Amino acid sequence: MARKTVFVDTSKCTGCKACTVACKEWNELPAEKTHLVTSYQTMKDFTPNTWTYLTFIEKYQNNTMDWYMRKAQCFHCAEPACLKACSSAAIHKTDSGYVVIDQDKCIGCGYCVENCPFGVPKVDEVRKKAYKCTGCIDRVENNLTPACVQTCQPGALEYGERDTLLPKAKARLEQVKKEHAQARLYGETEMGGTTFLYLLFDSPDVYGLPNNPTMPLSLSLWQDFVRPVGTFAVGGAAAAVVVGVLGNLFKGRYSSGSEKRDLSDGSEQEKGGKR
Amino acid sequence: MSDTQRDGIQEVQPEKVLRFTRGERISHWVHAGSFFILLFTGLGILSLSFRPALVIFGGVQVARVIHRGIAVIFVVVAAGMFLIGDSRYHWEWLKSAFHFTKADWQHISAFPKEFFGGHGDYPAQDKYNGGEKINSLLTIFGSFFITVSGIVMWFSTSLPAGLVRWAYPVHDLSMFVMTAAVIGHMYLGLLHPDSQVSIFGMLSGYVPTKFAKAHHAAWYERIKNQQRTVPGK
Repeated sequence: MARKTVFVDTSKCTGCKACTVACKEWNELPAEKTHLVTSYQTMKDFTPNTWTYLTFIEKYQNNTMDWYMRKAQCFHCAEPACLKACSSAAIHKTDSGYVVIDQDKCIGCGYCVENCPFGVPKVDEVRKKAYKCTGCIDRVENNLTPACVQTCQPGALEYGERDTLLPKAKARLEQVKKEHAQARLYGETEMGGTTFLYLLFDSPDVYGLPNNPTMPLSLSLWQDFVRPVGTFAVGGAAAAVVVGVLGNLFKGRYSSGSEKRDLSDGSEQEKGGKR
Repeated sequence: MSDTQRDGIQEVQPEKVLRFTRGERISHWVHAGSFFILLFTGLGILSLSFRPALVIFGGVQVARVIHRGIAVIFVVVAAGMFLIGDSRYHWEWLKSAFHFTKADWQHISAFPKEFFGGHGDYPAQDKYNGGEKINSLLTIFGSFFITVSGIVMWFSTSLPAGLVRWAYPVHDLSMFVMTAAVIGHMYLGLLHPDSQVSIFGMLSGYVPTKFAKAHHAAWYERIKNQQRTVPGK
């Protein structure tokens, strides 16, 4: 399957939150108590049962307010840090660009949670499993569009082949830039290119997103250096012991007459005496 | 030979010297026992190849709980013994591990030859020889870093992700260092023809005088004198 993309054109988003409802509906996720975070925003963060939500950012400058709305969900990175962090082989990436958690294999350790540069996966502490947006893989593999895309009224979400959507997104960006000079695409190259590709009005940090999301250095150090080198070192220690035992055997140092024999005889006597 | 009578309460053992007091032995075995439980439960969480073995604990989720419970013992008992379990000897050990003499370095350079069954030349060693001091340092630093990183991982949900991310490589690195060290440590204590008798120092507390003289002559000379001046302890 060719690489897919969901183009999130925030310039068209009206903040209606229909996508979040469609997500709950299709994925059979229970509703949660919401709170007023800022203006219209009612969810602060992802939860094991909330895989997408709307952020509302109010930016005041020159006596005007810019109201930035963004649908937040898993980016489905081409180089996913969560996948690299998972010690249970519970996360896999499809050819179409989807990053999916297999809850049957997940043990809820939270390594993915801590290493995701966007803070997307969340562990359900009761079920001991991590959850996040699946990209509606069960729909797209059956030639349906993701539930959020299907329901989006203003056309802010578009699903299709990456090869056709990326040029379209760039053309749209040129239009938007005429009024919003700071507008840019986010996800074209970030984390190897993310399946959810954004058009943002302003720099990512205005939206609370990392400007340069990267694979954490600690994660690369852990998986690509500490683990292979450590395994090699432990194997080396074990091999040295085998060589040591064989060397001593070969030299006949376990047989009678050695210094050790005299000593251990004494020790056994001592043990016998204690009994 | 009243020389070897280190503790007035314990029976006189003419051919033996007391190497490790009961407090030291308890520390060693609590540390060793909890280390191996932590190692096996941890490996099952870290690596899929070990995970099937976790059925003996009742599955991976039970193993995760055991790992934390034993971790508390690993830390609290080891630290507590410095205060209540023949604490003087614990502090002496800690001090000696950070105090390398010329004799220690000479032992370390002769160590590879000795390890593989040859004979290296080195001067009289104190209670802990150069190799034992290195093993002690690996244990001390390994235990410290694995504890700190473990606490960070335990309380990961209330700590910043940027900190928790670093705890993983630190925790694993400490594990690998201590595992490599314990393999060599067990070989020398159980399988090496010259030094395997030292295991009795950790079982009954006593090692043959002959062993003490051959491997820890400087220590042996010193405790002979100490035993005269401090007969009660």
